[in-house]
Amino acid sequence: MNTFRSFWRINSFHRYQQIRLGHRIRGKPPLQCRTIKERLDELNYKDELYTTRIDIGYPSEKKSSSKAREERMELSKTTKNDKKMEELARKGLLEIDMEKSKKDWLQSLGPMHKKQIADHYGVYEHLYGEGFFIPQLHLEVFYDISDGNCLPVYYGNVIKPAEALESPHVSYDTDGNTLWTLALTNLDGHLAENDKEYVHWFIANIPGNSIEKGDVIADYLRPFPLKGTGYHRYVFVLYKQDGMISYDLPKITSSSPLEERTFCTRDWYKKYQDNITPIGLAFYQSDWDITVKDFFNKTLNRKEPIYEYDFPEPYIRPQEWFPRRKPFNLYMDKYRDPKQINKEYLLRKLKTEDPFKAPAPPLRFPNAHPLPRNMPSWLKVHEKKIRLGWGRVNDV
Amino acid sequence: MFSTKNVFPIANLARYNSTAATFVNRNPRNLERMRIARKPDGYHLERPGRVFWHKLMITPTNRTVKAEVIHFVNGSVIEAKTSELALRNQLYSMTDTCAYINLGRVFAQRCLECGITEMACDIESKKGSKIDKFLNEVVKGGIKLVEEPVYKKPEPWDWIRTEKPWEVTEE
Repeated sequence: MNTFRSFWRINSFHRYQQIRLGHRIRGKPPLQCRTIKERLDELNYKDELYTTRIDIGYPSEKKSSSKAREERMELSKTTKNDKKMEELARKGLLEIDMEKSKKDWLQSLGPMHKKQIADHYGVYEHLYGEGFFIPQLHLEVFYDISDGNCLPVYYGNVIKPAEALESPHVSYDTDGNTLWTLALTNLDGHLAENDKEYVHWFIANIPGNSIEKGDVIADYLRPFPLKGTGYHRYVFVLYKQDGMISYDLPKITSSSPLEERTFCTRDWYKKYQDNITPIGLAFYQSDWDITVKDFFNKTLNRKEPIYEYDFPEPYIRPQEWFPRRKPFNLYMDKYRDPKQINKEYLLRKLKTEDPFKAPAPPLRFPNAHPLPRNMPSWLKVHEKKIRLGWGRVNDV
Repeated sequence: MFSTKNVFPIANLARYNSTAATFVNRNPRNLERMRIARKPDGYHLERPGRVFWHKLMITPTNRTVKAEVIHFVNGSVIEAKTSELALRNQLYSMTDTCAYINLGRVFAQRCLECGITEMACDIESKKGSKIDKFLNEVVKGGIKLVEEPVYKKPEPWDWIRTEKPWEVTEE
């Protein structure tokens, strides 16, 4: 008998695995489906034709590997024989000199790391499109703050517009003979066209290290990231010139209109690419500040534009004639114009407010005060919510 | 992110004739800084988690220690190794406690310079171990090892209105 029963069990059920909620499942089973990574790769696939990038800067100097190995061996010999160092390391007290470490980094891996972080911020993409460069020369840019300190510009740090009101001090290593061009552009802040940048500072034909002696084609303009739009990138690029160059750009002073500062680095660089090469890079991010409002009101003589992020609309189910188990007032409020609802709350608030008197102090126990007995329960809940300051009353 | 875009329409429509109604900020790190960008999501019991924008990762090998900041799309963004000349020249050993401490200092400095001051970190370390000392140095250097959750705009019917991260002004 037992064998007869088990025979039937094996026959009918060995093929069918129990799949929970099988009638609702979509797509292929777990071992055959594509992973989310594969699906994203397929969606984001870009052909080589669109993604090849061109190096427009100077090539890195190649160190011969045998020399590097020799240096490494010498270094390891000296360190392993240094007893003081060994003692400090053993006790956990060995501290590096950060300045020296930075210098070594700038000479060895600095340029590659700078390029990596600039890629992460999309700087090359928006400046040159398919081009990029490795910033071989270290560019030091310092803004002076009121305390007497200086705020350096590295690769992506945040600087408020209040700290960047005046032109910064720029310095870099150079032998006296070459001419340089320095350009400061804002990649994100264009008010009308999205693809263009604003040029905030442009100096051409700088002899050696002294910025003051170069031809100022565009006077320094302070950053003005718009309110509500977030962080804008401001990029300093230093170009090395082959000789004296006169750019076709019209001269821009501090009183010329903002539209004249519209600039497209890619098109401009295409014209002069045989004569100049980018070699230095520094960029910072900037957020909105109260000084930006003063800038718009006083310098540009216009109202400051305020933006808000465009969140996607919430999904609300199509309205039904007879919604089951839903509080009718809350349900119907979802399908009304939100502005109309806010207007009603505002009118209610304005009834009790007087511009010439101080607002009434808030009640210590707001819901201890009774509501009329004949008031329907849903209305009582509504009143209690307003008294507690929950929900739509805060949108006023 | 395919559904969040850097689009900002203007609040009051009629007044500003000379400015565009929508503004697109092309900075790819803007939405992450404003906490509006989407974080990748997975199952809650997954380890290691994938809910981060930037993540700190330490890779110790026999000869070196590598500390990286990894972005969920762009991969490794900031790197610091003890076998770089910058560190190796002044260290006795590339994998001992001092190496970790100094690597932490240098790494924190580089992250601050690059503007990435907040990152997720799921490295559990025993108290007093080398990695613990590394993490202490990184936190001392000014890096926050906790990433804020994504800001969700409160719907009109929500109970509480949270404060918007971009309206917090420091004084």
